[in-house]
Amino acid sequence: MTYARRTWIVLWKDLLSERRSKETLNALFFFALLLLFLFQFALGADRERLTAALPGLLWLGFILSGLVGLGRAFLAERENDCWEGLLLVPGDKSAIYLGKVAGNLILMLLVEAILLVLFAVFFDVDLGAHPIRLIVVIGLGTLGFAAVGTLFAAMTAHVRAREVLFPVLLLPVQVPVLLGAVKATEAVLLGEPLGAVGHWLGLLAAADTIYLTVGVLTFDAVLEA
Amino acid sequence: MTSRERALGWLAGLGLTAGLVMAFGVAPREATQGNVQRIMYLHVPAILVAYLAFGVVLVASVIYLWGRAAGADRLAHASAEVGVVFTGINIATGAIWGKPTWGTWWTWDARLTSTAVLFLVYVGYLLLRGMVDEPDRRARAAAVVGILGAANIPIVHFSVKWWRALHQPSTILGPEPSPIATPIAATLLVNWIAFTLLFAYLLTARMEIARFEETHAG
Amino acid sequence: MPDNWGYVFSAYGLAAVALLGYWRRLVGRAKRLADGEGRTGNETG
Repeated sequence: MTYARRTWIVLWKDLLSERRSKETLNALFFFALLLLFLFQFALGADRERLTAALPGLLWLGFILSGLVGLGRAFLAERENDCWEGLLLVPGDKSAIYLGKVAGNLILMLLVEAILLVLFAVFFDVDLGAHPIRLIVVIGLGTLGFAAVGTLFAAMTAHVRAREVLFPVLLLPVQVPVLLGAVKATEAVLLGEPLGAVGHWLGLLAAADTIYLTVGVLTFDAVLEA
Repeated sequence: MTSRERALGWLAGLGLTAGLVMAFGVAPREATQGNVQRIMYLHVPAILVAYLAFGVVLVASVIYLWGRAAGADRLAHASAEVGVVFTGINIATGAIWGKPTWGTWWTWDARLTSTAVLFLVYVGYLLLRGMVDEPDRRARAAAVVGILGAANIPIVHFSVKWWRALHQPSTILGPEPSPIATPIAATLLVNWIAFTLLFAYLLTARMEIARFEETHAG
Repeated sequence: MPDNWGYVFSAYGLAAVALLGYWRRLVGRAKRLADGEGRTGNETG
């Protein structure tokens, strides 16, 4: 069985079980809705302030939802005693890592799409002016988050106080991703061409590459019981 | 305590004394800031040593994942702990330096922010170690964080630098005026060497404790 | 510009306290471990 095939199988399994139960997606949808209300109450009715803070709010929403979603990344394996199953997969375990990253990425992108729609509706902002650029930026940022998040989720799966340790470990590492993503999103929402923020995109791409590489190289060690 | 440890301790003490003498006796009163600039002789060596410490964590973590040598894990742990201490000192002295010169204890300038992120990452590393009881799992998990934290440093550096560039030009006084005056450079160098010796001593002592704890744990 | 010696001494004082404190913590732990070993029978001989 090839590496690519193993990666695909892990991804397909996760997508399939999510599609059947819709557990995580439903919960995250309502979480996103709640976040929106929180932002409204926290920032008040000042439209100018809201518009100015919009890129940051978007990514806060993405990250908070991402934390909740990623925290559950290995829940199925943990709760159903499937962890040993993961360990028994022959060959390079990093295929599991990439499959999991892909699955988490897709899940996060779905939730982010929902958040974008909610933002547009409830805050009456036009987010669709440059959809391609927005997708590129959001994709790069979310990939960085998913790459490290998946690694740390596996790493803390069997650790005491993982619910607090997971965000405590993940968030400082993700600071540059957050900075870059917010800056780039701001530029896109202002109508600037992607070239104007090329250096940020380059940084995000470099970060994503580094994170994925470290993940691929160390996932084996992380998985051991 | 081994004799090597003792020797390192004395050397460090000597170096720190020399550094102190130079910081207050040799280094001149700075033209624009006044004597408050002498804090630099603490602030800069501290972060240089911290970078060294986290570099050691990176190397030791990689070595551990490679061959699972317990000594490498002990080295990583000890170096991270000492590194966090020096990073904390850097941040605190930076704040104390900043209050009279910038008018504020904290500002989100590039350097301070990057250092704060660094601090958070490795405090997280230590927290993680505290939460995992099985030595093998603890070492593996810590190694991953140690590697990722270090690999992330250049990314953080550029992201924060560009982030700040959009907000304000760098009018913040850097630690080194250019060209750097010889007494200032010499004082900085001596203090840097002293701090590095202190790092070596503390690292050795901390590793010794870790070794003790391991052999008497089970 | 005024000299702000107060700040200078605070900074050096803080660094001294932090480093001394950490060093004493290490030495204290080492001593306790060494004593513990001596009392329960010297395993390493």
